[in-house]
Amino acid sequence: MSEPVQFQVNGTAHAFALPRSTPLIYVLRNDLGLNGPKFGCGLGECGACTVLMDGVAARSCVTTLGTAEGRAITTLEGLGTLAAPHPVQAAFIAEQAAQCGYCLNGMIMTTVAFLARTPSPTEDEVRAALRYNLCRCGTHVEILRAVMRAAHGEASE
Amino acid sequence: MSETQAHEGVGARLPRQEGVGARLPRKEDDRLMRGRGQFIADIRMTGMQDVAFVRSPLAHARIRGIHVPDDLKDRVFTAADLDGVKPIRAVSGLPGFKVSEQPVLATGKVRQVGELIAMCVADTRAEAEDMAARVELDLEELPALHDMLEARKPGAPLVHEHWGDNVFLESLVNINIEAAFDAPVKVSRTISTARQCMAPIEGRGAVIHFDHRCDQLVVHTASQMPHIVRSGLSECLQMEEGQIRIISPDVGGGFGYKAILLAEEVCLGWLAQKLRRPVRWLEDRREHLTANANCREHHYEITLYAERDGTLRGIDCEASVDSGAYSAYPFSACLEAAQVASILPGPYDFPAYRCRTWSVATNKCPILPYRGVARTGVCFALEVALDALAAELGLPPEVVRLKNLVRPEQMPFDNITNKHFDSGDYPQALHRALDAIKADTVRARQTAGERDGRRIGLGLSIYCEQAAHGTSVYSGWGIPMVPGHEQAGARLTPDGGLELRIGAHSHGQGLETTLAQVACEILGIPVARTRLVHGDTAMTPYSTGSWGSRVMVMAGGAVATACTELAERVRRIGAHMLQARLDEVRLENGRVVGPAGDVTISQVAHTWYRRPQDLPADVDPHGLEVTAGYKPQRDSGTFSYAAHAVVVAVDPELGEVEILDYVIVEDGGTLVNPMVVDGQILGGLAQGIGTALYEEMPFDTSGQPLASTLADYLLPGAPEVPLPFIDHMATPSPYTAFGVKGIGEGGAIAPPAAIANAINDALRPVGAEMLRAPVTPRRIVESVLKARANRRSAA
Repeated sequence: MSEPVQFQVNGTAHAFALPRSTPLIYVLRNDLGLNGPKFGCGLGECGACTVLMDGVAARSCVTTLGTAEGRAITTLEGLGTLAAPHPVQAAFIAEQAAQCGYCLNGMIMTTVAFLARTPSPTEDEVRAALRYNLCRCGTHVEILRAVMRAAHGEASE
Repeated sequence: MSETQAHEGVGARLPRQEGVGARLPRKEDDRLMRGRGQFIADIRMTGMQDVAFVRSPLAHARIRGIHVPDDLKDRVFTAADLDGVKPIRAVSGLPGFKVSEQPVLATGKVRQVGELIAMCVADTRAEAEDMAARVELDLEELPALHDMLEARKPGAPLVHEHWGDNVFLESLVNINIEAAFDAPVKVSRTISTARQCMAPIEGRGAVIHFDHRCDQLVVHTASQMPHIVRSGLSECLQMEEGQIRIISPDVGGGFGYKAILLAEEVCLGWLAQKLRRPVRWLEDRREHLTANANCREHHYEITLYAERDGTLRGIDCEASVDSGAYSAYPFSACLEAAQVASILPGPYDFPAYRCRTWSVATNKCPILPYRGVARTGVCFALEVALDALAAELGLPPEVVRLKNLVRPEQMPFDNITNKHFDSGDYPQALHRALDAIKADTVRARQTAGERDGRRIGLGLSIYCEQAAHGTSVYSGWGIPMVPGHEQAGARLTPDGGLELRIGAHSHGQGLETTLAQVACEILGIPVARTRLVHGDTAMTPYSTGSWGSRVMVMAGGAVATACTELAERVRRIGAHMLQARLDEVRLENGRVVGPAGDVTISQVAHTWYRRPQDLPADVDPHGLEVTAGYKPQRDSGTFSYAAHAVVVAVDPELGEVEILDYVIVEDGGTLVNPMVVDGQILGGLAQGIGTALYEEMPFDTSGQPLASTLADYLLPGAPEVPLPFIDHMATPSPYTAFGVKGIGEGGAIAPPAAIANAINDALRPVGAEMLRAPVTPRRIVESVLKARANRRSAA
């Protein structure tokens, strides 16, 4: 069996004796039962599986378990609490940015990482940041409003 | 005050502010934003096995042999193993329709890339895929049909040999077309739309097990139509419908893609019984793009006959639709082309019409109706041709449209193909769109020219959309599914909450909120205290499901009908509790109000369930649970409509298109929740932009699909989707509860035509005309170069 790979997920230490090439999303979903990251394309093209790795957005379908070694992974489940959702989640709820909701994990996680780097973005910067997160329901406009609300407080029309 | 009454204080709004027309936040969003939804891949069962399929690598081939290694014999299954499993048959009753039988695992031949050949089961998907890689196929490749026009020719290879040709169905409508032949102006165009993939971000999938206690096959599947899947599985697995339970959890987008009986579902239904343990298959992106259903490949030869003032004398059209190898269940291979013939006339009034259609079989995967179904292609063909006519006549495009649009004083109007337009003011929609886009300003800017060398274009398109069409329409098509009365259940709980039950299913439309608003309108129960039960055949009344922009009209009407009956029963018990006559009491804001006091619905429910000793002996025994059926006063469908106007900048050297402004003036009748409607329109627009500019599933000459990842099949993203100006007209339908019209698909219908017309408007001085969607940079550049070459040779 492989040497255990150690890393943190949502603040808890884990070790998995699995091949280091195992895609991280399988470990998160199948072994840890975390449903936040979604499988969309398996090739890092849609963004539905996005997690934070040491605060940086990473696509867990093309991130291997080995890459996660020693890092702190945050999934959607680790962002806020039931009573107090993360400000980005709260903004997405306030702006009604969901239709089917499947892509939203990636949208929210990417936004959290993006706003940490760019706390006061322009709309064009938001659009560019979310360019490679696909939403097929077409909620881009609502998501844009949600990101601006998360960055600046109230929504900007 | 009782404890149950305290519950009703949830939320700050008065119940009346949560009824029909309220911009109410969706109940669904909270769980979705926190990752607490439950999608098909989130369902895990003890002992669950994963399935991977061996799929055909060839588009057309005879199967000479399938070699399964000996050590895999008990974990790999082929058609020979599937005792008692019937092929999928989606027959249309239209005369002349040829039936395709789709074996759930291939027998004899494979007819498309990705067709299922063998099923491999293991502890994990990765192991199952490794097993699939070890199965050897001995295939004799046959010539493949990748082009529907070639497939229609005599002597073409045959997809289904016993047919004698490759046409599922040919149809002809001719309404006096000869009368148009002497028109002074005749404009003809060849117009086509690409094959597309619906591409919900969640693929399909199924988790199936056999429940011995209930003696039931329990099928979790990401579906828009659980009850239809049950009927289809029952037919293929030869089980009683009662032995099958379909549960559709949160569905990560559908758009038509999840309105089908899957061969995979049938296979897993058999496998779960064979293995006596849960089995799971989750579609991956490659399976979605290359193996499962596509949509919308249309080809039109269209001719418009007109007077010099733009008045249409007639439309003559030959339309082919590439239906792929098999007829998909339940919509069949011919729904799309049949719809082309019936709706090509659009929102216009003219006297002569002919349309011949072919539903063509090719070696591609089957087609399914994608958001807007044939309307997007039809709107593209007609609206682009109308602009060509306007250009020929030297008239602005709106003038030609206004000459021919059905006028408000003609409503309700039976058009040339007997579509019954229920209400509305089409010319006003167009006028409003022209005003909002500032057409005069745009045209002045166009004349002035752009400093950066790009060209500005203004494009229009207008359509009307039959939605929620019912029995009278579908019975004529004779497909496996004909919608009748839509049913809904409404049940008061002992503590005064409300449970609604519908057989249709949400895949992102917000039904948990909007149907609760309908109930609130009638009963005054807060939306927070209403739960929607849906997506489970064991818990809901039968429904054909969510398709055709029908749920708000049909399930909304059924919920309204059930709640109206429930309100009457509440009122009767309330009158007794108030010691008042029935004609003295009314239901108001969730209370039964009498001359000398009132009781809440919660108190009524408490009395019925918990204190029956307080009720009189002759109380209505039916209680506080109602199942009601509903059809609109006419079941020929609601007719929502919209005018779209768009301004683009086109770079004729690079072929790049930028959308500068977008206006949508739409009329969806009474809007139950305008915020949800806006979301549907915005989403439709995003998909329409994809259709217009990006999305295409190409095939090579051997029938190989060439887009197998989302890097090849391009979906619009945040930078490509503009913020449009949306204007609602809201003319109520005269036939439906509250005047609601179907609106879910409409946003996707008009954009391809409007954008192509804008591009053509921009390129007209260059002499280029784009007649194929998507209008890609490459097509623009080729067209511009060709136009320049033509001008040079003419000069």
